[in-house]
Amino acid sequence: MLNHAEASEKFIEDAERTTWHDETLWFVRSKRDKVSKLLPEWEALREQASSIKDHTLANLGQYLEEFETKAQKNGIIVHWAKDAQEHNEIVHSIISKHGGKALVKSKSMLTEECHLNEFLTKKGVEVVDTDLGERIVQFRNEVPSHIVLPAIHLKKEDVGETFHEFLGTPKGNKDPQFLTEAARQHLRGYFLGANVAITGVNFAVAETGEFVVCTNEGNADMGAHLAKVHIACMGIEKMIPKRKDLGVFLRLLARSATGQLITTYSSHFAKPREGQEMHIVLVDNGRTRQLARDEFRNSLKCIRCAACFNTCPVYRRSGGHSYHQPVAGPIGSILAPNFDKSANVDLPFASTLCGSCSNVCPVKINIHEQLWFWRQDLMKEGLAPLGKSLSMKGMAFVFSNPTIFRMAGYMGRLVMRFAPFIVNNSFNPWFKQREMPDAPKESFQSWYKNRK
Amino acid sequence: MSSRSEIFGAIQALEKREIDHPGDFKSYKATQDVVGDFKNSLSIVGAICVDAENKQEAATRLSEIYPDLLRYTSHEVVSNGLDLEAVDVLEIDGMFGVAENGAIWLSDQFLPNRVAPFICQHLVIYVAKSEIVATLHEAYERLDGNYADFGLFLSGPSKTADIEQSLVIGAHGARSLTIILV
Repeated sequence: MLNHAEASEKFIEDAERTTWHDETLWFVRSKRDKVSKLLPEWEALREQASSIKDHTLANLGQYLEEFETKAQKNGIIVHWAKDAQEHNEIVHSIISKHGGKALVKSKSMLTEECHLNEFLTKKGVEVVDTDLGERIVQFRNEVPSHIVLPAIHLKKEDVGETFHEFLGTPKGNKDPQFLTEAARQHLRGYFLGANVAITGVNFAVAETGEFVVCTNEGNADMGAHLAKVHIACMGIEKMIPKRKDLGVFLRLLARSATGQLITTYSSHFAKPREGQEMHIVLVDNGRTRQLARDEFRNSLKCIRCAACFNTCPVYRRSGGHSYHQPVAGPIGSILAPNFDKSANVDLPFASTLCGSCSNVCPVKINIHEQLWFWRQDLMKEGLAPLGKSLSMKGMAFVFSNPTIFRMAGYMGRLVMRFAPFIVNNSFNPWFKQREMPDAPKESFQSWYKNRK
Repeated sequence: MSSRSEIFGAIQALEKREIDHPGDFKSYKATQDVVGDFKNSLSIVGAICVDAENKQEAATRLSEIYPDLLRYTSHEVVSNGLDLEAVDVLEIDGMFGVAENGAIWLSDQFLPNRVAPFICQHLVIYVAKSEIVATLHEAYERLDGNYADFGLFLSGPSKTADIEQSLVIGAHGARSLTIILV
């Protein structure tokens, strides 16, 4: 597997596409700015959302219990899974009871995290992703590159080709309107025939035992209301205490995500419809481990709006796939080491620590600080690549020794003036895509000492 | 040990932290003109808005908007959901509207089937001008104690921008949404 820097290098080979990716996501970020500034209480809302989540995480056990009791009273069957494997097995056991050729699934980052599609496909179940972006990447045997805009790494030409291959649309047709219509017709057939529908969960309300699912396309509802069985999958951190808290989160979510006032559909599922079976699978998969860590607990506040993706100068120019994780971007980079430190050691370093992610986060997660905390943690555990830890040690030695520091500066200036090829070569990563600066004649220190 | 008790065990093992719920949020300023704001939001989310004095006027306007399509009201369709696939235009009642985002609260007590607002080709919702609240906070205030088995905020026709960020109206749900303000 390529690490983030290697995968990014591949991504930026196509300069035109990189620029498009960068500018398009920045445009989404600008839309977020525009709508958020129309609300004078925007900052107070963020503060409120953050406090509600703080409170919820401090009382998570109590709220999970309340949710379970209320949901069961509502006629929902509640399941608990400690990890991805168990989650997948629970979902599969429900499906096998009901049969059916295909199941329809709307967007759920949790099922991506658990690799549910792969698991079910191996068991012979056809999983049909119904979100347009997710269907596109599913056809292409890829994974989403963005949690809100799954196919943002693709151009309409790519989608046209994919649909030509899988849906028989005319070759060369790349009109978004036409292609969307083709997907609508194609997926309607699955909606009308599916026995089982899987959805994610945006918020679960302890007070009422209901859960809320937000979409713009209407695919979660088309699936859930037509199928005999509805399975909703959620991480245990999706809990909120009261129904009125939804007002706060629904005001923040779509505005932060796409600059919309609200998603087209914000559906509140409290009870199964007559004759329907409704399941909810509550998944831990490392969340209680993260909950125990003071410096990383805040990451569990995330409502998956992806504002941090859209603003991140590194994400915009490296693409979601370079993060090799279901959740990419800044938030993904602080969630990933919790799953597997050594496999994700590169991700906390895939950042400039500029802090823009924390500034736009609707629930005020200190993302850039946590990136920095993870760097320290991973270095301490000796997981960083040898080159990085050696150069850090070297730098620490030089910076803590004034004489050597001055010597090093002097040598550096000499080299850059008289033998620039020693640094201007492909072994120096700073030289890639950059001109090295001209070396100054003297150091700041000597200029300061000698000034008249 | 069951996974349930493992999860609860892990949470209970943590040091107890006392953090209060911040209380209900109050929006800063209540708008003076909820109907005007609601109409403005409707235009942003891509819905058609029609002012109508009475049912007769609404029917006339709807015939202009959907000239060649058959229209059904929720009372006229008895449904298992699937047969609504064939419905071109469905007219339903909304409980109330939200000025800040153009959303309308629909609850399954007033729907022929839960899938109705999604599966029909075009959707028409009646909302009373007197039933518009300013923000989502007021909306949930209003819903307090009124727990539908299924309910939703619906704002605009179904849409997607998943292909190169080009906005396309009519993804899986209704291809158009007309709000009749009575």
